[in-house]
Amino acid sequence: MAVRAQFENNNEVGVFAMLTNSYCLVAVGGSENFYSVFEAELKDVIPVIHTSIAGTRIIGRLCVGNRHGLLVPSTTTDQELQHLRNSLPDSVAIQRVEERLSALGNVIACNDYVALVHPDIDRETEEIIADVLKVEVFRQTIADNVLVGSYCALSNQGGLVHPRTSIQDQDELSSLLQVPLVAGTVNRGSDVIGAGLLVNDWCAFAGLDTTSTELSVIESIFKLQDNGPSAIVEDMRDSLVDSMV
Amino acid sequence: MTSIYNFKKITPVPTGGDFLDIILSKTQRKTPTVIHANFAISRIRNFYMRKVKFTQENFDERLKGILDEFPKLDDIHPFYADLMNVLYDKDHYKLALGQMNTARHLIDQVGKDYVRLLKFGDSLYRCKQLKKAALGRMATIMRRQKDSLAYLEQVRQHLARLPSIDPNTRTLLVCGYPNVGKSSFMNKITRADVDVQPYAFTTKSLFVGHMDYKYLRWQVIDTPGILDHPLENRNTIEMQSITALAHLRCAVLYFIDLSERCGYSIKEQVSLFHSIKPLFANKPVMLVINKIDAMKIEDISAEDRTLLDNIVDNEGVEMMGMSCYTDEGVMNVKQSACDRLLQARVDSKMKGHKINDILNKIHLTQPQPRDDNPRLPFIPTGAESKAKYDAKDPNRIRLERDLEAEQGGAGVFNVDLKKRYLLENPEWKYDVIPEIWEGKNVADFIDSDIQEQLDELEREEERLEAEGYYKSDDEEMDSEEEALEATANAITEHTRLTRIAARLKTTKNRPTLPKTAIKRTVGEMSTHLERMGLDSSNARARSRVSKRARSESRGEIIARLSSTARPETSVVRDRTMSGVRNVKQKLESEKVRKLAQRTPNLFAKRGESDRAVQTKMPKHLFSNKRGNGKTDWR
Repeated sequence: MAVRAQFENNNEVGVFAMLTNSYCLVAVGGSENFYSVFEAELKDVIPVIHTSIAGTRIIGRLCVGNRHGLLVPSTTTDQELQHLRNSLPDSVAIQRVEERLSALGNVIACNDYVALVHPDIDRETEEIIADVLKVEVFRQTIADNVLVGSYCALSNQGGLVHPRTSIQDQDELSSLLQVPLVAGTVNRGSDVIGAGLLVNDWCAFAGLDTTSTELSVIESIFKLQDNGPSAIVEDMRDSLVDSMV
Repeated sequence: MTSIYNFKKITPVPTGGDFLDIILSKTQRKTPTVIHANFAISRIRNFYMRKVKFTQENFDERLKGILDEFPKLDDIHPFYADLMNVLYDKDHYKLALGQMNTARHLIDQVGKDYVRLLKFGDSLYRCKQLKKAALGRMATIMRRQKDSLAYLEQVRQHLARLPSIDPNTRTLLVCGYPNVGKSSFMNKITRADVDVQPYAFTTKSLFVGHMDYKYLRWQVIDTPGILDHPLENRNTIEMQSITALAHLRCAVLYFIDLSERCGYSIKEQVSLFHSIKPLFANKPVMLVINKIDAMKIEDISAEDRTLLDNIVDNEGVEMMGMSCYTDEGVMNVKQSACDRLLQARVDSKMKGHKINDILNKIHLTQPQPRDDNPRLPFIPTGAESKAKYDAKDPNRIRLERDLEAEQGGAGVFNVDLKKRYLLENPEWKYDVIPEIWEGKNVADFIDSDIQEQLDELEREEERLEAEGYYKSDDEEMDSEEEALEATANAITEHTRLTRIAARLKTTKNRPTLPKTAIKRTVGEMSTHLERMGLDSSNARARSRVSKRARSESRGEIIARLSSTARPETSVVRDRTMSGVRNVKQKLESEKVRKLAQRTPNLFAKRGESDRAVQTKMPKHLFSNKRGNGKTDWR
């Protein structure tokens, strides 16, 4: 199930929210419209939490997490940390990370089992990621971009990567992540997948500009509907070729 | 997706009379209006020149606007070019635009001529007459374009109402005899609302509708019916269909009415297919048998059947039956037409080079298993079974948005952040916790046993220190090592200073002196050497030796000089001697040079760079100016 959303006229929903299999963080905005998009889909399933990180709304880019834990940058205030601790279930560990690359959401991409990280990330941070998020950590780039978190979106069932990722790179990433991958775009051709798309194992939120073709690719690669990822190379292939060439 | 062909934005073309009114009133409004005969003549001339020029520029701008905005038949897609030819007659259109261009040039010329003439106007009256003549001639030229302007306005209005057809997108084109159900089909599959009537030529122009299929936007074009006669006999309505068939890359749906209720026999309909067949080249074509509720394919006579079969067998055409009345087969026809067109488009695109850019987007990478670890998705219970939110459902779950609307809307409503806290005791949710308590940050004591932990750490530290964990074995140094270290430090310090000195020395903000010009004393040299750690006694002795050597006899010195290398000094050669053989020759050449320079010197006492006052009182600056009291003299 994929939903289109917009945060105060901005299509980069992945900047203003964060979604995992056990919780969802949403930035505090001028109105509750954005929050309610998530609430309508997730209420009573997982907690949907209003928060800010370091006083900013760009929480999706600043923190990273999965079902097991949440990593927040060192700039997070004590009050925010307290609020998050109170709101999150006890099964989710929270850890503040002293890392020079403080936009953790940009430099780390993870699902519940594997994390891809920026090649220059601290060794200690790497260990924290492995411990708190309970994942295997790989230093990687996506289509020669070091900001792995910005240029891909991952779930336990699939992954969407930067549109210029070569097939060899896709193969390599896929064997690391152990999920099927496809290169694609969101928000009518935007290559910053991580900023335009939020996804977990049963639902996805994309920017309002996302075309129906893009949305159908998202739905099939993340197995959000009946036909699985193979639809991309079978049923949808012709439509994709015709709309993209 | 917006079409690049949008003719709706062309500015209206005024009629001949309006055109003149617009331009002339603009001249009246935007140029000065007050002039007197006793103004300086140059001012009068400028006043009228400005009017003429302004009018000419306005005409020019306006006409250029028309020329730019109307599509040029050679630049637009051949489909539109041909359609415009059919609808407005290419020659007429080009002629009208050509006349606009000629008028523009003529008006420019008139403006230029009269501005030139105005330069010679010697009175207000003459200038005014010239201006009047200029504007009059411009108006005459423009008035002659009355018909062209009217025609262009008609064309503009019609163009603006043309459907915006994108010639390059996925298109289904519906064609056939009049009254076979083309428009009904269009109404069935798209949201277009085309007029359907039970008589021929209900549809008199192209209509376009859109539909979605396979995540893509498709364009369906409904064409007017065509009759079976030679091309030159076709009327404008039919020619539009032909144009669309000829130029659009599309799937063609050729409609046939077997019931013959349209008024044309099956034979006629089949023969039309054959006569317009050349237009179907390289396009997926489908033979759509419409109105099967009235007449089934199986029920027609054997000879008609063979006619149809001929088409299907020979032309690679797919035949499908449907009925717009009962909706039977409509979707089938649509889907198979779309599929065939999509297939054809994809096949041709796969041959192009652009496909290489998107190969990775249509490639699904499946992981190679690297271990036996199952990585299962984690979907909480209730996620799948959760009812879809419906904003219209009265029993829908209440969202924050609803709360917000109830409590004053955005900007007034304050979201309750603590409402959903997951605490051991829900009563704790709204407990007030101070941030700072007794000068300490409460958050630092978030662990209940933090003090114990700290004490523990400190105790461990003390223990380690007591055990000598931090003590290294070789802490004490013997005197020899100390001396060594002192020397090493001294050397490091010295190199550092030398480096700084060298850097200062190389900074060239002072005159460079040759080595010989710098005074050095033996004392300086010896201290320098000593500082470098060398023995200076030898050098001192040497300097003493050479001093004594200077007092040797002169002959000895000369003899030694001739046998030793020349000392390193800068040599400035006397250039006056270069190129001449001896002194005598030099003197002679000098004499010649002086003689040759005599005349130039006589004339060129003053260089061009010298200040010069050529004329004390230039005539043009001082004539005609009265001094005091000279009026009588005049």
